[in-house]
Amino acid sequence: MAHDTHGSSHAKALPSDLSAPAFVDGWRSRAIIVAAVAGVVAVILALLGQSQDHLGWEHFMRAWMLGLTFTMGWSVGGLALLMVQYCSGGKWGLLLRRPLEAAAKGLWVVFAYWAVSLLFIKHLYQWAMYTSVAATAEALKNGLISEAQAHCLDFKRPMLNPTTYFIVMLLCFAIWGLYTWRLRSLGLQRDRQSLDTTPYWIKKLENISGPGIVVYSLTMTAAVLYWVMSMDVTWFSSVYGLLFLVGEGYSVLALSIMTSISLSKAEPFRTVLRTTEQHDLGKFTFAFVMLNIYLAFGQFLIIWSGNLPEEINWYLDRIRGHWGIIITLDFIFHWVIPFSLLLSRDIKRDKKRMIRVCQWMIFAKAFDLFWLIEPNFKDAARNLHFSWGILEYIALPVAMASLWVAYYSHNLKARPLVQTNDPHVVEILEPEHVHA
Amino acid sequence: MPSREGTYGLLAEFDNPSDLVRAATQARQDGWRRLDCYTPYPVEEAAEAIGFHRNRVPLITLIGGLMGLAAMFSMETWISVIAYPVNIGGRPLYSWPAFVVPAYEWTILWAGLSAAFGMLALNGLPQLYHPLFNAPNFRDGATTDKFFLCLEALDPKFDLVESRRYLETLSPTSVVEVDY
Repeated sequence: MAHDTHGSSHAKALPSDLSAPAFVDGWRSRAIIVAAVAGVVAVILALLGQSQDHLGWEHFMRAWMLGLTFTMGWSVGGLALLMVQYCSGGKWGLLLRRPLEAAAKGLWVVFAYWAVSLLFIKHLYQWAMYTSVAATAEALKNGLISEAQAHCLDFKRPMLNPTTYFIVMLLCFAIWGLYTWRLRSLGLQRDRQSLDTTPYWIKKLENISGPGIVVYSLTMTAAVLYWVMSMDVTWFSSVYGLLFLVGEGYSVLALSIMTSISLSKAEPFRTVLRTTEQHDLGKFTFAFVMLNIYLAFGQFLIIWSGNLPEEINWYLDRIRGHWGIIITLDFIFHWVIPFSLLLSRDIKRDKKRMIRVCQWMIFAKAFDLFWLIEPNFKDAARNLHFSWGILEYIALPVAMASLWVAYYSHNLKARPLVQTNDPHVVEILEPEHVHA
Repeated sequence: MPSREGTYGLLAEFDNPSDLVRAATQARQDGWRRLDCYTPYPVEEAAEAIGFHRNRVPLITLIGGLMGLAAMFSMETWISVIAYPVNIGGRPLYSWPAFVVPAYEWTILWAGLSAAFGMLALNGLPQLYHPLFNAPNFRDGATTDKFFLCLEALDPKFDLVESRRYLETLSPTSVVEVDY
């Protein structure tokens, strides 16, 4: 047998057409249909809930905040992971960069969701309801809020008031938008240049992304403090921002890995996605699963040990009155299941099963947010009970996330999926045994 | 015990992993079963090419981890509830959240140790003598930049002359005979 003795003779070639496969259009139209149907269901549920316990629209608003926080996690978390990729380098950039860029661009949708949420902050947040010392005192006298809440409202007013909220959030969105726009335009510029400009681009993107990750951590923390934590004005936790940061990494990785594997049903990702890199991404996801529970359990253990009246109530609101079922399920859903599945090498290397794990993780993250959000409110704290409004937490986030996904699929189609002047292209086209 | 005299096998040397994987795949296809690949770094495709099968290390690791978990958790429970019941800040004696961290650490520790020792127990290491080190090119290249395929004499198809001829069709850079 005559054999060529060079390893590179095995290397595959990039297909000539690098644009996203046609079925991405299908994703988009399917997402729009799901969004429309779920949106209609959400409105019906709100009306049903309203007639049942007058909380239908309340639940609609709460679920809206879940959808907002969740899609923000995809967009802003996507931006952050993109920046991490620019700083770390590596072959995984070829697989995730385009999905992450498409996710980051979804910031428009998130901004629209946020703008809508401005209409009803007065219904959700005590700090938006009672904006002065007099108003808090009045509410306390009428028994609408507790003494602790009145105290916290007055004490935290410099941060928790509608004007500051509006300014801080606008600043956050401006900063996220700026980074998204800058990285995207530089990416487009880089695409037009030749391979030998790579060292320049690596430095350039690194210099933007490094500080960007720090700025992201701060702005994202501000956003989740306002959106989620301040629903209960009395509670505080210094790990909160980090918890959401890791949570965003968790759901963004799930989304982008799922995208990249689904794209590999056709060219160009059929050529580009190798088992080795899929396996590596699975391990990366596993790290996020681990870190997520580490922080969540750490926070719980510290507050449980301290057992202080300022802090422990937040957990009691979320454990007592049947919420114990939800927190147990939460633990199983977003740690036990992905942890056990991702331990397996076979699952990490299997396309179909890896997609299932990613889908599950996205669901689990939303479930976790439900547990964080709903018990903040008086009617639900320490009292898990069924109402039509509760189902809002399924319908509305599904509608909002689907709309976001529609725009995401649209963005995926906008550019070639493989960056041809990436120095790792040669490597990723080689057979898997060539490199250690 | 295999015979400790005579020929251990024929060792073919390759310059790159692609050629090794190609040759190993071919050899296995042609019916060779007692064969092995030697590479300076892990080449998974080479392992697959010679029919690497699953081993029990993952199972040993899992069992070890679960044993560590059970051991530590029950030890903590026994200490706090039965052996030394101390009232700490009014908390229940069976305060499971506080037990989780050490129990988790022991899971990791036992799983790690089981993986390491399980691996050693199953792969026959440490091994003080291996005939392949008799081949000078193996000594020089196996841990740096050479890739080897060895057809062992224990294989029923093995024949000193025929097998050497066969190996040469796989276009290696050299074929040497290795003695015990």
